[in-house]
Amino acid sequence: MRLLTNKNRYPDIIFIGQPNSGKSTLFNAIAGLKAETSNFPGTTVEHTHSKVNVEGKILNIIDLPGSYTLNPSDEVENVALKHLFVEKPDLIINVLDASILGRSLELTIELIELGYPMVVALNMMDLAEKKGIETNVDKLSQILGVPVVPTIATHGRGIKELLNTTLKVLRKTETVKPIRWSKDVEDKISELEQMIPSDFPIVQNKRFTAVKMIEAEKLLFDKMLLEINPSLKKGLDSVRKALEERHSAPAYEVIAAERHHLALKIFEESSRVTRRRRIDWLERIDDIIMHPFLGYLILLGVFLAFFIIIFEVGNPLEELLLGPLNSLRVYLADNLGRGLLFYLTEGLIQGIGGGIAIVLPYFIPLLFLMSLLEDIGYLARASFLMDTFMHKIGLHGNSVSPFILGFGCNVPAVISTRILESRRDRIITSLLIPFVPCSARTTIILALIAFYLGPLWALGFYVFNIFLLGLLGRIISLFFKDPSPGLILEIPSLKMPSLKNMARKTYVQLKAFAKFAWPILIAGSVLLALLQFFHLDRFVNLFLSPLVEKALGLPQELGVTLVFGFLRKELSLVMMLQALGVNYQELMSVVSQQQLVVFAVFICFFIPCLSTVAILWKEIGRGVALVSMALNTAVAFVISLVVRLIFKL
Amino acid sequence: MINLTQAPCDKQLRIVDIQGGHGVRRRLLSLGFHKNHLIELDSRSILGGPILVRDLTSDTSVALGRGIAQKIMVEIVDE
Repeated sequence: MRLLTNKNRYPDIIFIGQPNSGKSTLFNAIAGLKAETSNFPGTTVEHTHSKVNVEGKILNIIDLPGSYTLNPSDEVENVALKHLFVEKPDLIINVLDASILGRSLELTIELIELGYPMVVALNMMDLAEKKGIETNVDKLSQILGVPVVPTIATHGRGIKELLNTTLKVLRKTETVKPIRWSKDVEDKISELEQMIPSDFPIVQNKRFTAVKMIEAEKLLFDKMLLEINPSLKKGLDSVRKALEERHSAPAYEVIAAERHHLALKIFEESSRVTRRRRIDWLERIDDIIMHPFLGYLILLGVFLAFFIIIFEVGNPLEELLLGPLNSLRVYLADNLGRGLLFYLTEGLIQGIGGGIAIVLPYFIPLLFLMSLLEDIGYLARASFLMDTFMHKIGLHGNSVSPFILGFGCNVPAVISTRILESRRDRIITSLLIPFVPCSARTTIILALIAFYLGPLWALGFYVFNIFLLGLLGRIISLFFKDPSPGLILEIPSLKMPSLKNMARKTYVQLKAFAKFAWPILIAGSVLLALLQFFHLDRFVNLFLSPLVEKALGLPQELGVTLVFGFLRKELSLVMMLQALGVNYQELMSVVSQQQLVVFAVFICFFIPCLSTVAILWKEIGRGVALVSMALNTAVAFVISLVVRLIFKL
Repeated sequence: MINLTQAPCDKQLRIVDIQGGHGVRRRLLSLGFHKNHLIELDSRSILGGPILVRDLTSDTSVALGRGIAQKIMVEIVDE
């Protein structure tokens, strides 16, 4: 098969490395430098592809998510393992953090076991040097049996050599041999190798399959094997038992320990540590950032600055973009008449323009600042500081970054829950994300509550919102028997940010958003324009009037704006004025203070927008999406009623 | 033998045992928590909250929730 396809396809080069190894920076430096076609993330953001031209040869490079091991029990790492199994790359580029070489080598050893052609990029050489670690690159390459190229991805150093070496290795077809472990472990592995039948789906080599089988203890694989091939399962169990008895530890731990010791041995043989000191001033900054008291003050300051910057940048941008859009609409209204064509174009403009003028001005600065916080290593520290609070709502520190992302847009926030290792945490976090006020809802809060009632009301609304989030978290976690597994998070050393890397990251995430949410936005707007043209909105109002008029005490005309709100939250605002037939300044003449607050509360909390529901459905499952819709609507209804009652008093 | 939450700060500790389910053990293993490994507790841990562990061999820091830290049994290394 491989021979047949070889002629017509470009070689697949996989980038793989442990988290924080600078793998994506290196990938982006290469893809950004010579990208022939644009970078496109799968809608799932599982991995990034790019085609690059290196001296006339086109390579298909693939960036896999950072993984500590090829451990099949972790959802993120499963992506990496599956890719290596199914796609069978032509070459692996393993990116290592040279400043923590000992640990990084564990993954390298595991990758070498696969037997694919491989090149090691020894990255962050500058940091290693500052830490006093001197690595003999030739010696390391000789021990590992694969070429090693020193790089500094943030400065673009070593990239040319890396690509040249990659081409050289691709031309040769040498097989990579695994580095041997202790004799008794090796004996057991080859014993199992003998048992594997010839028709067993083998990945590259039998030894790797045997090792992975031993490691899959207590995982789904074991149950499957018992059904497919009971006699092999029996042999596997006896091999595991022998390893366990000899080392008095579970077999998978024996294997992990073998790799661990081998990695440390290789590190000692290839490197010399002259002075073991971290960089003083960085350590001092770290002491303040992580301080049990000062740390929280700084965290608060960072969040405040975060939002102030986003609104200071977003607000003028939004006004700048909305102006021409409105003129275009006025122009179209004058020239197209009031026919179907006008409604269709208007819907189209609302959809396209809404994305550009309302979402992007806030979303781009948010993504950019998020990647800054991530780049310098602050996000991990914020998760550490917030862990105690997250425990109070039944989660732990890892859920902090999805929540922060949610303030921009709930859609990427739901996608980012992938970093959570337990399904329980993923479900709870995803159910809570729709209660995080995204930029669209913040627009409503600012435009309705802050504008008409004053900024203190808006602040109060925010505080209440966060309190509600916590309360719901506590209630939802009651439905789960198991407690959260707890925080296990590496805190990377503080780094200087790279502007190029941040821009690249922002771009990739923005593209994922545009591909997924934008089409829904446009289709929704066009649909609603048609609804208006055929005057179907009256029926919608009539249908919703028990809820809108009777229960919430709002004007009946606002019914249709709720439908708009489901498609796009900020559309409710625009449509509210249109439905009531007043302009922005006159609003308070037709609605009371109470009605205004009830409307804002209901719009903000009811049903997450269509894009959010769609991503929940796709990422977490149908059940969770439906529960989320019901939960949000119920909460919005109850709070709106309470607000109405409070105003009556 | 004590667990990590009871250990003193800035003293060398040796991991004696890691308890808990295989999911947690695997995750800890992949981050370098092996038996006999030397670690140190960072003083910046938050009272009643997560603790910060420094791996002395690989020079990395890992934040651990209290529940997980209780599963890691250590002994103090005499210098």
